[in-house]
Amino acid sequence: MSRILFLIREAFVSLRRNLLIVAGAILAVFISLTLAFGALVVNEILRINTLAWQDGVHVIAFLNDAGENGVPSNAHEVLLEDVRGWDEVDQARYVSKAEAWIEYQELFAGQEELLDIDPTILPASIRIELVDIALHNSVKFRLDQQTQVVRQVTTAADSIEQLQNLSNVLNVLGLGLAVALGLSAIVLIANTIRLAIYARREEVAIMKLVGASNWFIRVPFLLEGMIEGVAGASLAVFTVWLGSTSLARAGEGFALFRLDVGQDWFLSWGLLFLAFGALAGIVGSLMGLSRYLRDADGTGPDTPAGF
Amino acid sequence: MIRLENVTKVYEGGTIAANDVSLDIPKGEFIFLVGPSGSGKSTLIRLMLRDEPVTRGKIWVSGKDITTLPKWKIPYLRRSVGTVFQDYKLLPNKTVAENVGFALEVLGRPRSVIAPQVAQVLDLVGLADKAKRYPRQLSGGEQQRVSVARAFVNRPPIMLCDEPTGNLDPKTSVGIMRLLDRINRTGTTIVMATHDHAIVDAMQRRVIALDEGKVVRDDVLGTYEGLGEEE
Repeated sequence: MSRILFLIREAFVSLRRNLLIVAGAILAVFISLTLAFGALVVNEILRINTLAWQDGVHVIAFLNDAGENGVPSNAHEVLLEDVRGWDEVDQARYVSKAEAWIEYQELFAGQEELLDIDPTILPASIRIELVDIALHNSVKFRLDQQTQVVRQVTTAADSIEQLQNLSNVLNVLGLGLAVALGLSAIVLIANTIRLAIYARREEVAIMKLVGASNWFIRVPFLLEGMIEGVAGASLAVFTVWLGSTSLARAGEGFALFRLDVGQDWFLSWGLLFLAFGALAGIVGSLMGLSRYLRDADGTGPDTPAGF
Repeated sequence: MIRLENVTKVYEGGTIAANDVSLDIPKGEFIFLVGPSGSGKSTLIRLMLRDEPVTRGKIWVSGKDITTLPKWKIPYLRRSVGTVFQDYKLLPNKTVAENVGFALEVLGRPRSVIAPQVAQVLDLVGLADKAKRYPRQLSGGEQQRVSVARAFVNRPPIMLCDEPTGNLDPKTSVGIMRLLDRINRTGTTIVMATHDHAIVDAMQRRVIALDEGKVVRDDVLGTYEGLGEEE
């Protein structure tokens, strides 16, 4: 216990002594992880919105009035049954003229001038959810064949596809960016630790002289790297959280697009980023330490010095 | 206690620092390694500390062959060997007490053990009243006393001293030698490399003279120039 406290104290003393170098490392991790985490948040926003579209109605078939202009009176029911039987269709729901009017009234409640219309002009419709959004063209084509019953077919699929494509590109870019920036954070920490060891090389030599094991020497540097990594990652997570919640607040009431990713998502990914920060710090420290301790073992390259 | 058997050390580039050296150093002995600069005194000290690997030969310390010691066991060897160097090798950001206690921290001793042990050894070297000072606030002689205190704090059976009086004036050197003599009387084996004639002549201990890496003289009660009793 005494030894652990001693090593922790040594790590903090070293951090305090090399403030400028430490600040540089924390800043480097902060910038790298902020960019990576920011890209992840943007990607998540796109994913949420794509899902929101996907969970909604994909295709709407507006129908001609049944029993008029040669449309059989049971045409709507027949078409609904047909559509429900199609492989591409997950669910299909019939919205009658009366229900369409109720929906219209709800949508434009309080706007008297818009409500002053003839309710009979609103068409009945079939609202379709697809098994896979990619099948929307096939369904639209099949509906378009029903010229007698179907007045018009609208689909949200184009917008969804665009979002999906953007999301895929961002996924690849975000992953690439996260890997590159994560690696740069590790290298920067390794450099910082190497500088810290160089600044304390005499101290390390004395530690070895009095019988300190390599692990005893390593642990304060590992802790130092870990603290730098976690500090940088914490700042990054906090900054992105602040930016994201501000964005979400600004976008409140903007019904078409959700800008909040949810606190649970933030918590789990934030913790993951903190863990990554700690890991980057440890790996960076090990990289920075490995060469020095190998050379300082007394079994490194032979050099005559003052014999 | 320490045994060197046909030890040779050749550095990269072909410089021979130790040439077929064989020595037996019994427990409790005080030995001077003397010789001109470049004769191989410091190399022998470093070889005994496994700070350098031998090129050929064997070295036994406390019955263990340290030439075949795995890397991870080297710290254990160093914990049983106190070292004192010409340049003191103190940690500038630690106080006198912390510097001395550092050797015990490395061993994982609890604070309740470290504090009295440090106080005791500082008392021995006459620095009890300067425990809270930093090395920069001490004279050269005082800094060397701290170094001796750190080397002796965990009561090692062997102390290796490389020119411990090299940076000190004659009067201060005598003080350090008295201290080392006192430590030797507790049973600690001391091997000291030096080219200080006055100290070697005054102490009248075993003298091993080196020249170009070879043992050229081994006197039981020797002097620097070799006028003492031959073995």
